[in-house]
Amino acid sequence: MTIALSDILIGVLSTTLTLSPFYIFAGMGEIVSEQAGVANLGLEGIMLMSLVTTFIVDYVTGNPWIALLAALGAAAVIGGLFALTAIRLRMDQIASGLAIYLIGLGLSFVIFNIAYPNGLTPNYVGLPPIFTNWNTVPYVGIIFLKQNILAYVSIVLVVLTAFFLSRTSLGLRVRAVGENPKAADNMGVNVNKVRFLATLFGALMFGVSGAYFAGNFVPGFQTDVIAGRGFIVLAMIYFANWKPYRALFAALSFNVVYAAQNEYVSLSGFGVASVSTLFNMLPYVFLLALIPVFGRKARVPKFLLKPYRKG
Amino acid sequence: MQTDTQGLRWLTTTAYNAFAIGLGILAGLMVVVFAGGNIGVALSSLFLNPVTLSGGIQQIFVRFVLFYTMGMGVGLALKAGLWNIGAQGQLLIGMVMVFVVYTSLGFLPWPALYIAMILGAALGGLLWISVPTILRVKFGANEIVVTILLNVVAINFAFFMLSGPIKSTGTALGFPHSIELPAQFQIPSIISGLPITYAVPGTVAIGIILYLLVERTPFRIKANTVGESHETARYAGISVPRVMVITMLVAGALAGLAGATYLMGYRYELDIGSFSTNYGLVAIICALVGRKNMLGIGFASFFFAYMTIGAESMALSANVPTYVVFAMEGIMMLGILLGNYLTERKYLV
Repeated sequence: MTIALSDILIGVLSTTLTLSPFYIFAGMGEIVSEQAGVANLGLEGIMLMSLVTTFIVDYVTGNPWIALLAALGAAAVIGGLFALTAIRLRMDQIASGLAIYLIGLGLSFVIFNIAYPNGLTPNYVGLPPIFTNWNTVPYVGIIFLKQNILAYVSIVLVVLTAFFLSRTSLGLRVRAVGENPKAADNMGVNVNKVRFLATLFGALMFGVSGAYFAGNFVPGFQTDVIAGRGFIVLAMIYFANWKPYRALFAALSFNVVYAAQNEYVSLSGFGVASVSTLFNMLPYVFLLALIPVFGRKARVPKFLLKPYRKG
Repeated sequence: MQTDTQGLRWLTTTAYNAFAIGLGILAGLMVVVFAGGNIGVALSSLFLNPVTLSGGIQQIFVRFVLFYTMGMGVGLALKAGLWNIGAQGQLLIGMVMVFVVYTSLGFLPWPALYIAMILGAALGGLLWISVPTILRVKFGANEIVVTILLNVVAINFAFFMLSGPIKSTGTALGFPHSIELPAQFQIPSIISGLPITYAVPGTVAIGIILYLLVERTPFRIKANTVGESHETARYAGISVPRVMVITMLVAGALAGLAGATYLMGYRYELDIGSFSTNYGLVAIICALVGRKNMLGIGFASFFFAYMTIGAESMALSANVPTYVVFAMEGIMMLGILLGNYLTERKYLV
């Protein structure tokens, strides 16, 4: 059996564009949040809650757009709880983030189980592709037209986030409260309010990621369905030095490696999981290898993880 | 008056922790009642089932050993301001190493192989944590990010080992699993018939030794100073990298060791069911509740061993998935942090 190289290439590109938005939305959210000095380790818990909300609301209303809105609402509630604990109550961000993760991990499955006691998973296919008859168009169809609108929104979001952080006054305030909250406070910036807004923005983006995951990754819902993919975003933005374009590059290259090994494994037909699981490690090892190369120059926001108290 | 304040502070902290744990239990009860469970059955399952159900007492001690061994490592690193989120990954590598040593060093006589399996697991955890340690000390890379990444790698690696090198060829059941350890490589009970193995006194002994080595020597102050501020530590002549390397490597070795006691003392064989647990996060909670104290973590671990089994049993009594226990743990953790906030606010003003 011979496999055309072009088929592999198309497969890799298509998968990369389908999977990357999940990491891009979350990455932009975490960048803004961390630039303001708040690391949200509860991101995967927030994603799980919005994921299960997407399933249930789509099932009830039959409208994926309302489901997306509801997912944002769920993310805002859990994200708001995190912001309250990490900012207002000055709790240790790592500990309270992990607590939020545990709450999301447990609660999402309990809610799912109560909503669908028979164990059947609802059929949710996500938002429609931007061009319904995408499979009539060769190459371009499966790579670009098959994706839904969120894939394109995610790219625009990168541009907007970069512009926001470097060119707008609110963006500068976000960076100021993460870099030197005392000075920002002296200049009349309400430090904790800016931090709250940045954290909330982050949570909303995790909500979009969760909803996107529901339609584009694993069909149906199972326990711990995101399985650490949310946490990977923390590594991506760390490697990206909190820069939006580099985070985009990190997300795309990670998924190219992922898609390539996936394509290779499925085409070469290892069958049994034996060797394929070794290949599954590749994207993570790739990300790990980038850290000593690029992480050396990492400039962590100075007041990341440090709560701020006025006076 | 100093001791009075400290005593009062200890009392308020304990009261807050009790409140936090009560809050988590209440949340779990609410879910169970909402799902149509009977509150009386739920309460008796929560408090009594761990000791009355068959195998319950064994489970309590198995989890106590797991949480305590891993929790000490997490707490030790935390003293130096380092977050080991990767205890779960180190645990998995430890479990895999038990079988790697068993199959590759099979020529060794019995007692030597037995000890080699236990030491191999600890060494596996140590090697696994050496990656974030080196990246942290040499490149300044954040240990949280690296340990989280390595958890995912560990699961894939363990799955690879399980479906290939250490796979049992004896049976053709659907999911890959390892062979079962022969009886002479299992950790025996203290008294035959009693469901408590030698792993329990062994873990307590390690706890006491670490307590004496860490809490009763200048190392405690060294680690705490590094945890507070690297600059202060350097000014005081403390070698920051040295403290970081020691605490991290010991943390990894302990988590790996927990893998050996879990496999050799309870599970005896490895399958994918052993991967999808969240014991690493529970170990973090135990370290926080035990206030990073090597003995305090022991009490916290025993409590959480009992509580998680009771809560799982409570969930099952009302057909609620046992995942509800994760949510309860999360709420307890938030409650404990809230208690810390209230305590600090009262005494630091």
